[in-house]
Amino acid sequence: MTAPAAEQPLEGVPRVRPVRPTRPARPALVRPREVWLAGVSIALARHLAWPAAVVRAIFAGAAALGLLWAGLAIFLRGEFGILPVAAASPLLYAWFWALVPRETATPDAPLRREVPVALALLVAAGVLALLVPVSWLVTWTPLPVGAVEATAAAVAAIVWTLAVDVRDERRAASAPRVRAVAGGFLVAFGLALLAGGFADSRTLVAIVAVVPVLLGVATFVVPPLLARASVRSAERAALAREEQRSEIAAHLHDSVLQTLAIIQNRAGAGTEIARIARAQERELRDWLFAGTDPFAGDLATELRTIARELELEHAVRIEVVTVGDVGAIESRALAAAAREALANAARHAGGDVTVYAEATPDAVEVFVRDRGPGFDPDAVPDGRLGIRESIVGRMARAGGTGVVASGSDGTEVQLRMPRARLAGATGAGTGTGRTSGTTTGTTGTTGTGGAP
Amino acid sequence: MTRVIIVDDHSIFRTGLRTDLGDAVEVVGEAGDVDAAVRVIDELRPDVVLLDVHLPGGAGGGGAEVVRRSAALLSSVRFLALSVSDSAEDVVGVIRAGARGYITKATSGADVAAAVATVAAGDAVFSPRLAGFVLDAFGTAAGAPAVAATDDELDRLSVREQEVMRLIARGYAYKEVASHLYISIKTVETHVSSVLRKLQLSSRHELTAWALERRLL
Repeated sequence: MTAPAAEQPLEGVPRVRPVRPTRPARPALVRPREVWLAGVSIALARHLAWPAAVVRAIFAGAAALGLLWAGLAIFLRGEFGILPVAAASPLLYAWFWALVPRETATPDAPLRREVPVALALLVAAGVLALLVPVSWLVTWTPLPVGAVEATAAAVAAIVWTLAVDVRDERRAASAPRVRAVAGGFLVAFGLALLAGGFADSRTLVAIVAVVPVLLGVATFVVPPLLARASVRSAERAALAREEQRSEIAAHLHDSVLQTLAIIQNRAGAGTEIARIARAQERELRDWLFAGTDPFAGDLATELRTIARELELEHAVRIEVVTVGDVGAIESRALAAAAREALANAARHAGGDVTVYAEATPDAVEVFVRDRGPGFDPDAVPDGRLGIRESIVGRMARAGGTGVVASGSDGTEVQLRMPRARLAGATGAGTGTGRTSGTTTGTTGTTGTGGAP
Repeated sequence: MTRVIIVDDHSIFRTGLRTDLGDAVEVVGEAGDVDAAVRVIDELRPDVVLLDVHLPGGAGGGGAEVVRRSAALLSSVRFLALSVSDSAEDVVGVIRAGARGYITKATSGADVAAAVATVAAGDAVFSPRLAGFVLDAFGTAAGAPAVAATDDELDRLSVREQEVMRLIARGYAYKEVASHLYISIKTVETHVSSVLRKLQLSSRHELTAWALERRLL
């Protein structure tokens, strides 16, 4: 009795619904991480399915037209009211820049900008600075055209290197140089304005001139201070997190883990309650002590995961012991064969099972030992044909060996994979604890342990 | 009968263990922190102390501190570390302080009693995990430069000791190790005790570096 009969069509005749043609959804409006300037054009182009060049051309063309228009209006008629309209394209660009989110699928991917913005601003500052003597010669104004603009461009270049380029690995290297040039430019430019200042407008020029000097000097002083402050606050935050984490870990260790251990003790290895408590203990301990484990998919993690899963399914307690750089080994065949051996032990033997994995320079070995009644591997009935195929056969096909040794006191499956047959493990380093040559200061309980 | 003191900061665990051990041993005392443990051990002079690796009080050194402060009694009182912790540093720390073995708290009462008997007889108790720690610490897996030429070389394990440690790590009981290697149980016990001594006395600096690196296993 699964569903009311009224809803069922004729038995055996599946109801066919016409497939409604759907328009493919537009890609989300997000800015990618590899862009020219801000990614606005690419984002729009992808969203609208236009070529990126068209969007770029529209933005650039509109901006150029606006600039031309504004220039004509200002210089010919002295009108400034037209500026917001003329600047529509840059403003729209900035608006998109501010509001369109960056794509978050790959948050760790580096940012890349094709346009060296800071350098461009610096060049613009230089060009604008050249306007100053021209402006003086032509108009003789107290505040020459180009002075404020050049200062603003140089300051913008500095701000860009500080705020934006630090996250762009290609520009981060050259950012300090650009900043230094911009700072030097500001100092020289300000001093030049001071030196060329005029008596009747000394105050105004002095003010305008002092600002670049101060800004230029600040360029050299502030970034190191900022960097140091941000490093320190990051360190503080990390320390606080670590402290909180170890506090929680200590508390849980003292309370929950102990209780779980007692429950297992009292219930006995093979019982249902012990199984649940053991699985919970594993889970909690993984979170407490291995939460920062960067590896996933390596043999050590794989074995622990398999053990955890089987402990949930069967009345079994699996102890996983690893020696050497097992955490750096990736071998699908080895993990699969070990899983088979463990599943077998969990199903047929139960109780305490030991997994021992060792990575030596020549080979990686995994031993799975149980305390079950054992069986004769050469006379396995049909039902246990799986062992031969899935363990011995699998290892042989992958270039390793698998041996099943069984006796009255249990069964041991021995798996061995030569290093040479491990895909992608050729450059695996030495064992985890093999930092030789450096004498580490003795701290903590280990180092202070002396002779009894 | 073997006189035992249980040192653990959780009374519920002490009670549970006491019940589990049953009549196999005589539990003469209990303690819940470092200072109380040192005092009770000095007062009662038990044969074996079942010692939690993590303990409050004292200078914060936990089980290792208890062993160190009871160093004068080490000839008559044996310490067996008992922990839910998998942290290699803590376990190796308490062993290097002078404990004669390490078992996990999930071990059943009968196995704990057997381990107590082994330690009381002067032998060492290695769980698979501790054997794994030892193999890792002495760098046998990563191809140690050479094995010890003589058994009294402190910084390396001999071939036989490595074999014994490997079998223990694989889950073999001493008896099974003996029959697998065609040696007597007594010889196995000798090898294990010798490894324990090396673990305690070795000045091999890599041991410390290794343990430190593994602080959060």
